[in-house]
Amino acid sequence: MTVLIKWKNHHIEDVEVSLLLSALKERYGYDFSGYARASLKRRLLALTHEFDAGQLSQLIPIVLHDEKVAQTVINSISVPTSEFFRDPGVWYYLRTTILPQLASFPRINIWQAGCGYGQEAYSLAILLHESGLLKRSRIFSSDINPLFLDNAQKGCWPARYKQPWSDNYARAGGSGVFADFFIENKHDIIIRDEFKQPIEFIQHNLVIDDVFKEMQLVACRNVLLYFGNSLQEQVVNLLTRSLERGGYLLLGRGENIVDLAEKHPQLELLDCSLQLYRKLIGTLDV
Amino acid sequence: MYKMLVIGLSAGGMPLVKQVLAALPKDYSLAVAIVAHLPQGYESNFAQLLDAVTDLPVTTARDKQPIVAGHVYVAPPDYHLLVEKDSQFSFSLSEDEPVKSVRPSIDVLFKSAAEVFESGLIAVILSGANSDGADGMAAVKQLGGLCMVLNPLDAEFSTMPNAVIRQVDVDYIAGIEDIISLLVSVDEKL
Repeated sequence: MTVLIKWKNHHIEDVEVSLLLSALKERYGYDFSGYARASLKRRLLALTHEFDAGQLSQLIPIVLHDEKVAQTVINSISVPTSEFFRDPGVWYYLRTTILPQLASFPRINIWQAGCGYGQEAYSLAILLHESGLLKRSRIFSSDINPLFLDNAQKGCWPARYKQPWSDNYARAGGSGVFADFFIENKHDIIIRDEFKQPIEFIQHNLVIDDVFKEMQLVACRNVLLYFGNSLQEQVVNLLTRSLERGGYLLLGRGENIVDLAEKHPQLELLDCSLQLYRKLIGTLDV
Repeated sequence: MYKMLVIGLSAGGMPLVKQVLAALPKDYSLAVAIVAHLPQGYESNFAQLLDAVTDLPVTTARDKQPIVAGHVYVAPPDYHLLVEKDSQFSFSLSEDEPVKSVRPSIDVLFKSAAEVFESGLIAVILSGANSDGADGMAAVKQLGGLCMVLNPLDAEFSTMPNAVIRQVDVDYIAGIEDIISLLVSVDEKL
C-alpha cells in the first residue's frame, strides 16, 4: 500500500508542469514548452522524489529564487544518454558510404547537435581519424546546457563502459583497438587529446538560436524525440538550413520523420532505418 | 469505455501474448501496446512474429505516431515507449536510462498510459523473471484502470506476476483463458 500512497502524493498535474516551465522560461530564458510531455513529466516526477517534495509545484518558488536548484531542474530535463558508436549500423554506413563522399570536400564541417557527455562527437572524430580526414575536419558539438559541454570537453567516462562501447566500435566496422583511443586509469577512460583538438564545444539552444553555416554533415540523434510535433518541425528546418546543398542530415534511429520529409521538400530520404537524409543540390533556402 | 490495453511480459510470456492476440476479434475497439523484454536477435522481428498470429495489424511503435483503435503496437528495442495526450493520443519514444536495468520498461509504459487514459486503461502482466511492471501496475490501479495478472501458478516464470500481486491489489489474478475472455468481453459493443 505504501507505494500507492506515494504515487498519489507524487502524481504530477499538467498545470504544475506548465507553471514550472513558465518559471524556467520567464526567469532563466529556457523554453521547454514545446517538449513532448510524457517524458518531461517522468523526469520531473523523478526530480520531485529527489528533492523529497510532496508536489512538483513546491519546487516552483525555489526554482524562482535559487539559481542552483533551477540549474538542477534544467539538467534533469535535458539529461543526456548516449554511447560511443550507438547503433553500430549507422556508424558502419557513415564509415563506408558517407565519409568517402565527404572526402571530396576541401574542408569538412560537421555539426553534432546535443552533445550529451561527448560520446557522439568523439565517435565522429575517431571515424574521421580512421578515414584519414580528421586533419581537415572541424566538428561543432553543441548543447543547451553548459554543464554538459564542460563534461563533454573533459572526455572522461567510467571504465565500465569500455567493453560495451568497444563492442559497438567493432560492430561499426572498426578494425583498430578501441582502448587505444583512450588513456586509462583505475576508474576512468579519457579520450586522447588528438581527438579533442578538432572539436569545438558550443552552447546553443535549438529552440531559439540561429543556424550553423554550410555544414557537410549535421548529426542530431535522439534529440527530436523529446520535442513535440511543432517544435520538431521547427528544429528540422533549422538543421536543414545549416546544411550545404548535398550535405547529410543524420537523425536518431528512434526518430519518426517519415511525414516530416514530406513537409521538408529540400530533404531526400536516403535510408529510413538509419534516419539519414540528404539536402537536395538544386534547392533554395527558405 | 476502455480505450487502451497495455501488456507487459518477459521470460515465458511470448506464447501467452500470442495466444491473447490470436483471440482478439479483428474489429477490437481498444488500441493495444506491448512491452516485452526480448533476447537480442528477437527484438527486431517481434512485430512480425505477433502479426502472423492475429487479425489485428501489428507494428513497431514510432515516435509521435497517432494511436489507432484496433491496432497493436510493440515498443521498439532499446527505447522506452510512452503515451502522449495532445490534441490526439500518440506515442513518444525516449532513450532515458534503463529502469530496473531494462529498456523498454513496462513500468514506464504503464505509468504513462495510466496518466493519459486513467479508468479507460486495462493493464495485463504475463510471465517474467524480474519485477518490472509492478510500479507501473500500481499507477494503473491508482488512476482507476483495470488490473489483471496471470496466475503465477500458470506462469513459466512467476517472479513478475508475483511482484505485481505483492505490490498491488489487482482486479483479477487469472489463468490465460480467463484473461482472454475478460479482454474480449470488455469490448462488447452494447
